[in-house]
Amino acid sequence: MQHMARVSPGDGQTPRPAVEVRGLGHAYDGRDGVVAALADIDLTVPAGQFTVIVGPSGCGKTSLLMMLAGLRTPTSGTIECDGRPIAKPDPERVGVVFQEASLYPWLTAVENVEFPLLLKHTPRDERRARAEQMLKLVGLDGFGGRYPHELSGGMKQRVSIARGLVQDPPVLLMDEPFAALDEQTRMTMGHELLRIWSETSKTVVFITHSLTEAVYLADEVLVMSARPGRILDRVPIDLPRPRTYQMMATDKFGQLRERIWQQIRDMP
Amino acid sequence: MKRPSPPTVRRLIGLALLIAWEAVPRLGLLPELFLPPLSKTLAVLWLDSYIYAAALMVTLYEVAIAMLIACGVGILVGAVVGGVASIRNLMLPVFSSLYAIPIVILYPIFTAWFGIGSESKIAFAGVYGFFPVMLSTAAGIRTIDEQYLLAARSMGATLPQLIARVIIPASIPTVLTGLRLGGALTIIGVVVSEMLTSASGIGYLVTMNRTILDSPRVFAAIIVVLALSVAFDIAVRALERYTMVWQSAGRRMASSSTDTSARLATSASAA
Repeated sequence: MQHMARVSPGDGQTPRPAVEVRGLGHAYDGRDGVVAALADIDLTVPAGQFTVIVGPSGCGKTSLLMMLAGLRTPTSGTIECDGRPIAKPDPERVGVVFQEASLYPWLTAVENVEFPLLLKHTPRDERRARAEQMLKLVGLDGFGGRYPHELSGGMKQRVSIARGLVQDPPVLLMDEPFAALDEQTRMTMGHELLRIWSETSKTVVFITHSLTEAVYLADEVLVMSARPGRILDRVPIDLPRPRTYQMMATDKFGQLRERIWQQIRDMP
Repeated sequence: MKRPSPPTVRRLIGLALLIAWEAVPRLGLLPELFLPPLSKTLAVLWLDSYIYAAALMVTLYEVAIAMLIACGVGILVGAVVGGVASIRNLMLPVFSSLYAIPIVILYPIFTAWFGIGSESKIAFAGVYGFFPVMLSTAAGIRTIDEQYLLAARSMGATLPQLIARVIIPASIPTVLTGLRLGGALTIIGVVVSEMLTSASGIGYLVTMNRTILDSPRVFAAIIVVLALSVAFDIAVRALERYTMVWQSAGRRMASSSTDTSARLATSASAA
């Protein structure tokens, strides 16, 4: 049980969940009055677990992730991360990896990775050392001096992941990080992410449209309904780890994927 | 035969124009009053270099102060108009309409307010150059990718950090475009106002020599203004290259390819 390691003595018998969401709701003022984007979300992510959220477009997946990151304020309910509420972005507890275009084009790869530390006024040498270490972790040793436009799509997302991990937060949120990549790169990146995850033992909450990606990566897949988004189903993925590409061809993989697909396909 | 590269062709056209400038009046195709030969113009420029240098100093001084005003105020106002939605909605239509007015029509008012000395030129050219700087700064800030801001906030950036580390670097390319346009308009504003009403500066030399039908001296003054504009353009390009290393890869490749083709062209002509 890898998450047991996180429990400090005297914390009680049960391991503390990394992310705990209770009765979360979100509504906003739309053109036709108040729109409920999310309703009654209850969510517990044990430390060290890889959780994937899938659901139809516009179901509020991104909205949920924004609130987990402290970038958006929920209308109702509570979010706790590492035992304390998330009121505003806290990169030391929660790192975020977005879709493309969130690397700063005027900074080199290593400067992008350093950016969160720069905001915290970490001394230059320490900053650089930590950033180089992170680039090594994501397999980009020696590419630190390149600007984003000199990197491929997959490499850019590796830099984003390095940036999300540079402050060593226990929780990493990922919002469709591989959506803009071609299929082949996407597979490789998924595999790489699992390697990084197993090396760092982070808690990951990952949003995707791809059911194959979801089953391949996850310990547990959460299926969300159309707006207002609710959690319809929790699908434990009991495929052995480390995962291999061959597993995608197994019956078990197909059945899990099918179970998720059945719930999503009839939604608008 | 290989076609010569565009830079070679450009240089050849430039050379041809200079030769024509010398040859056309010499051959009597145009009277020297309309077009004095290049050599005569340069000779006058050399002979009166003291006068031209003194006039250039006045013009440069006016341009420098006017540019400081146009760029400084333009960037400040542009940042506020671009960054604050309520002010933008209120003011942007007004500024955009004002930009369409031929501001030169206001110059007589400027002379009434500030006299015919340098102050009225500076004020006029400053206002003239202000608009493009302000409008492009506003556009630059408004069109920043939302994702950049979101990412910075997720990394815990405070508002001052957001401005210094994300908003400013992200808007530099657009702002520089505005500075280039605004700077050029400032030079135009100073020279035009000197031509209209004044007793010093390069623009004044153009008008004064035109009234006494001294064509070589008019053309000599024009050469000085051209040199000033070209120097400004080169300076802004250098600044752009310096600040935008991160997006110059395409340009670098383009220029190196023209270099190769230029080399190919010379080796071809040598063979």
